[in-house]
Amino acid sequence: MNDGPLIVQSDKTLLLEVDHPKADECRRAIAPFAELERAPEHVHTYRVTPLALWNARAAGHDAEQVVDALLGYSRYPVPHALLVDVAETMARYGRLRLEKHPAHGLMLTTTDRAVLEEVLRSRKIQPMLGERLGEDSVAVHPSERGNIKQALLKLGWPAEDLAGYVDGEHHPIALAEDGWALRAYQREAADAFWHGGSGVVVLPCGAGKTIVGAAAMAHAQATTLILVTNTVSAHQWKAELLRRTSLTENEIGEYSGSRKEIRPVTIATYQVMTTRRKGVYPHLELFDARDWGLIVYDEVHLLPAPIFRMTADLQARRRLGLTATLVREDGREGDVFSLIGPKRYDAPWKEMENQGWIAPADCVEVRVTLTDEERLAYAMAEAEERYRFCATTPSKTRVTEALVRRHLGEQVLVIGQYIDQLDELAEHLGAPVIKGETRVKERERLFQAFRDKELQVLVVSKVANFSIDLPEASVAIQVSGTFGSRQEEAQRLGRILRPKADGGGARFYTVVSRDTVDQEFAAHRQRFLAEQGYAYQIVDADDVLA
Amino acid sequence: MTFTEWLRGRTDDQLRALVLARPELVAPVPAHLDGLATRAASPSAVGRALDRLDRFALALVEALAVLEEPLAVERLEEAVGAPPGRALARLRELALVYGPDEELRLAPGVRAVLDDPAGLGPPAVDVFRHHPPERLEEMADEIAPGTAGGGKERLAAALAEPGKLIEEVSPEARAALGQLTWGPPTGRVPNARREVTVATARSPIEELLARGLLAATGEESVTLPREVGLYLREGRVHRDVSPVPPALEGAARDQDLADRTAAGQAFELVRAVEELCERWSAEPPGVLRTGGLGVRDLKRTAGLLDLPEWTTALVVEVTHAAGLLAADGDWVPTSAYDLWRVRDTADRWVTLAGAWLRMDRVPGLIGERDDRDRLLNALHPDLRRTAAPGIRLAALRVLPPGLAPAAESVQARLAWEQPRRRAVLRDQLVEFTLREAEQVGVTGMGVLATHGRALVEGGDAAGALSPLLPQPVDHILLQADLTAVAPGPLTSELNRWLALSADVESKGGATVYRFTESSVRRALDAGHSADELLSTLARHSATPVPQPLSYLIGDVARRHGRIRVGTAGAYVRCDDPALLDQITADRRSAPLRLRRLAPTVIASRSSRAVLVDSLRAMGYAPVAESIDGDVVISRPDARRTEAPARPPAVPPTGLDPEVAVAAVRAMRAGDARRGPAEAPPGQVPRGPATATIAALQEAIRQGVRVWIGYLDSQGNATSRILEPARMEGGYLTAYDETRAAVHRFALHRITGVAELT
Repeated sequence: MNDGPLIVQSDKTLLLEVDHPKADECRRAIAPFAELERAPEHVHTYRVTPLALWNARAAGHDAEQVVDALLGYSRYPVPHALLVDVAETMARYGRLRLEKHPAHGLMLTTTDRAVLEEVLRSRKIQPMLGERLGEDSVAVHPSERGNIKQALLKLGWPAEDLAGYVDGEHHPIALAEDGWALRAYQREAADAFWHGGSGVVVLPCGAGKTIVGAAAMAHAQATTLILVTNTVSAHQWKAELLRRTSLTENEIGEYSGSRKEIRPVTIATYQVMTTRRKGVYPHLELFDARDWGLIVYDEVHLLPAPIFRMTADLQARRRLGLTATLVREDGREGDVFSLIGPKRYDAPWKEMENQGWIAPADCVEVRVTLTDEERLAYAMAEAEERYRFCATTPSKTRVTEALVRRHLGEQVLVIGQYIDQLDELAEHLGAPVIKGETRVKERERLFQAFRDKELQVLVVSKVANFSIDLPEASVAIQVSGTFGSRQEEAQRLGRILRPKADGGGARFYTVVSRDTVDQEFAAHRQRFLAEQGYAYQIVDADDVLA
Repeated sequence: MTFTEWLRGRTDDQLRALVLARPELVAPVPAHLDGLATRAASPSAVGRALDRLDRFALALVEALAVLEEPLAVERLEEAVGAPPGRALARLRELALVYGPDEELRLAPGVRAVLDDPAGLGPPAVDVFRHHPPERLEEMADEIAPGTAGGGKERLAAALAEPGKLIEEVSPEARAALGQLTWGPPTGRVPNARREVTVATARSPIEELLARGLLAATGEESVTLPREVGLYLREGRVHRDVSPVPPALEGAARDQDLADRTAAGQAFELVRAVEELCERWSAEPPGVLRTGGLGVRDLKRTAGLLDLPEWTTALVVEVTHAAGLLAADGDWVPTSAYDLWRVRDTADRWVTLAGAWLRMDRVPGLIGERDDRDRLLNALHPDLRRTAAPGIRLAALRVLPPGLAPAAESVQARLAWEQPRRRAVLRDQLVEFTLREAEQVGVTGMGVLATHGRALVEGGDAAGALSPLLPQPVDHILLQADLTAVAPGPLTSELNRWLALSADVESKGGATVYRFTESSVRRALDAGHSADELLSTLARHSATPVPQPLSYLIGDVARRHGRIRVGTAGAYVRCDDPALLDQITADRRSAPLRLRRLAPTVIASRSSRAVLVDSLRAMGYAPVAESIDGDVVISRPDARRTEAPARPPAVPPTGLDPEVAVAAVRAMRAGDARRGPAEAPPGQVPRGPATATIAALQEAIRQGVRVWIGYLDSQGNATSRILEPARMEGGYLTAYDETRAAVHRFALHRITGVAELT
């Protein structure tokens, strides 16, 4: 019997015992072809999915390496059926290739004629194809480059896109490494992306994804379109690019609800791109406004469906996706794979934390007990009002006050979902509140004051979920959330994970009403973090108040 | 020396070897050695003996069948192109060939069973049987002028030495003969029956037809007479028969790795069977009217087991063959399953793999259509193929260590070893066997695993497999995300306990469990207390119990049982009046028609079950209460059938050596006692069945009439006078003089035969 750290399960999950002496070595061997699904304290779970195998194939790994890794580290015999399945799945990638054709622009070629014949019979594929060029190749309408990749992936024959990219309009961009340096993993991530052409870089919140974006731009030396989730985040990208690169104020444009600047580097929000008037997307022209050489998608796991459709038409341009997680609540991971590209780089949270790139965090769940009257009211509430009712119970306000008092002198963020609740909290805490209706100028003033430690406590709504850079926030108190959203939880934790100047840890509180749907939703959200290795500690509200 | 005399001269050891190798000869034991000789000559017994021969031994038999007897061993060697050696000894042992080396003879009955031996046509006397006598006379006059006798006999005599005739014909005609020389001995030509003479012959074929070198055997077919074929083969009977089996070809692989891979698959099979039985315990699929398992049920099961459909069908068939599954209106696990389940993994695998090896059913056919275009379902009765276990065993037996032979290579090997088996079925079965062996875990990466070899050769398969399998562990790893990981198969007690208090999330070498509110409640419902749960966890966990887990258990336990529900009129009681206020205030409780009886008790008109369900749906955690106020322990029930499983198919085993000794002794004794046994005159003749068959064969050969005793369909003894025509498939076809019509007679109803004088 082999004494390996890995147990291969029949459902294609891999269990890695982290305390095993060979665990690190094994992790490196399996990471290319298995997605880390859960990383709690003792046993990490990886999953071997077709997408993960194709990601590995795209990165140049072959089935033999995968099989060797499984056999070499597995503690128990590996079922043969699983090995065969791995080899067969991997062999599916690259049987079909999209290549340039001098006359037709684009063609689909194959190394396996039977596969080509199979996909040619598909009714979904047929309209995208032109004439048959030979026994092993067929012309593809260049406009269908994205759609055909999506459709082929659905058929289980992902095509390797070797048709290359347009260089785009040249624009000099250089990293300005004055007083800071690109971290090793950031450089690796940018290089891996550039080498692969297009794809997704997975890094935890706080690991400096913006800088990876900047490094990619320095590689491209071309005009760049950056798509971000909201205006605040757009401003931060701009600030970061000004600080980290040779770009100047005039070279960076903002394309949002209020401003419509198109410059060599343009930052646009998802919201403005997906605005629809009379059934058309009026801002679609932005994609054609310049000859972009690179398109960056921030928070790619949130990419809205219309952007996918637009992206399908942009396949000739290099695309970089940045995200903390490939998990999408809507299950469209396959579209990310086929339209943005395969995963090019990732690093697990805990490992980054151990290297000191992100701050360690303690997570605490504070349980509030409803009073008898509240319980009665809760039971009588309509189904759709129940969560709101228990999430905004007045008991939470008292607990939050106590927690803020406990962390006097530290930078505290109070995050919530419901504006009434936030207003009430702000009043009790004597702190300003940032919500959807707060003007952008005012928001930035408050954020800056918080960064400068003039403000110690800030109450924010979900507008602050994404991409708000508040390096010194060390305590976050979450009073309510978007039901059970896992990625929201990850994002909120991400707010406080940036390394602190004093090297101290961060603390993440979730205040939850006991025995209600609030607790159920909280459990669901926390599961994601527990699986990332952030163990929750549970305390009773009475202990906090005492 | 006759065959019977030779047989009588064999030593007891040799006779024992004979009956061990041909057990059907002593079932039942013949009264004496004459009986044994008669039975050994019967077509079915000869057929079964020939079926056991490899290609080379069969070639020897064929050579003996076509050459003139007796034959010297040197001539035999020349005929097949290799020294007969051990193959000849084997033929003697099987009593297919007898006599000393200088005078080898085929046992009686063998020649009749061989069709077209060695690809040679029938002898001239048979080939020209259907030609009109005038035509034969004409031909004989032309090629053998001046000889005497009937046309057919003269022709045959001339063809016995066809050298001169062959020299006469044109090179084209000789080339045409060359085509037929090594078989098959028949060819197609238009208008084969044309009458040509040496003088009028215009084409090469006509030259041959005119000289009798080819015989018309149909409107459009010609056959090469055996004598001509033998002459053209220049003394050989077989051109290229190898005395050794063809070597297997394929990829070389590491045996250890193959063992481990096969063990991994073996573990998977056991797990899949267990999962199947557990699933079918709760939701058994129906038995189709035709006896199989519905296509949709198979699909659904494949989904549950997360296996391809054909593998699922294999798992279902193996489970059934191992007696763990039986039809009882539905397909339900048998009580044998419960016994099987508690044994250790290696033993469980041996039961399954052994059942697979010996079953006469062919799961590979599932999903295909039969002759009448009906779909073959899993567990369908028509999936049986008698040859399957034999071929499965043979295919695995030839696999050498460390080599993964290609299917074609194994097929070629078996074609050498069992040349008389139907090739199409054999090749298909070999393919199925290799594919299934991989799934069952008998082979790994195409190489016969050490435990697989032990299984095939009757060794200690469980002992070989056991060290490769995950060893049972008695600890788990608890994690903050409320999962527990068992890093190997758990000891059965811990396994049962965990299965009760947590949900299984992932299975394989390890098992991942997840604790949820409902799983903890299930454990509490089954009578465990929160403290008990926590202490058991602490005892078995290699890591500290994470705080969220103790909170979960505490939370559920705190709420668990606070609400109690009874049958008597159905009531709800609770120590906390506020909670009951909450329930009565809850709008969703309206359909339950609740009435507050006391601050701590609510009564309902609904049944207890409805009440419990509804309250749970509202988010409470009630427990059912008995009349005495005890908590009723609830447990999901699993169905079992007591219907006996179909006993596993009996493999074609050899004879017990002790039986062989006894049989030989009995026959010797019978021989010594034996006097002349004649049917008393004027009575219905009676005799042993084998003598009947021999007498009928003789009558067919000689074309004479016989008198038989026959039991009609009402069981009345009658006697008939018959002219037997042919005998096959247990029936005699004969012209019945008594009734003046051709009839078929069941051989087993013929009580005796006597020659008419």
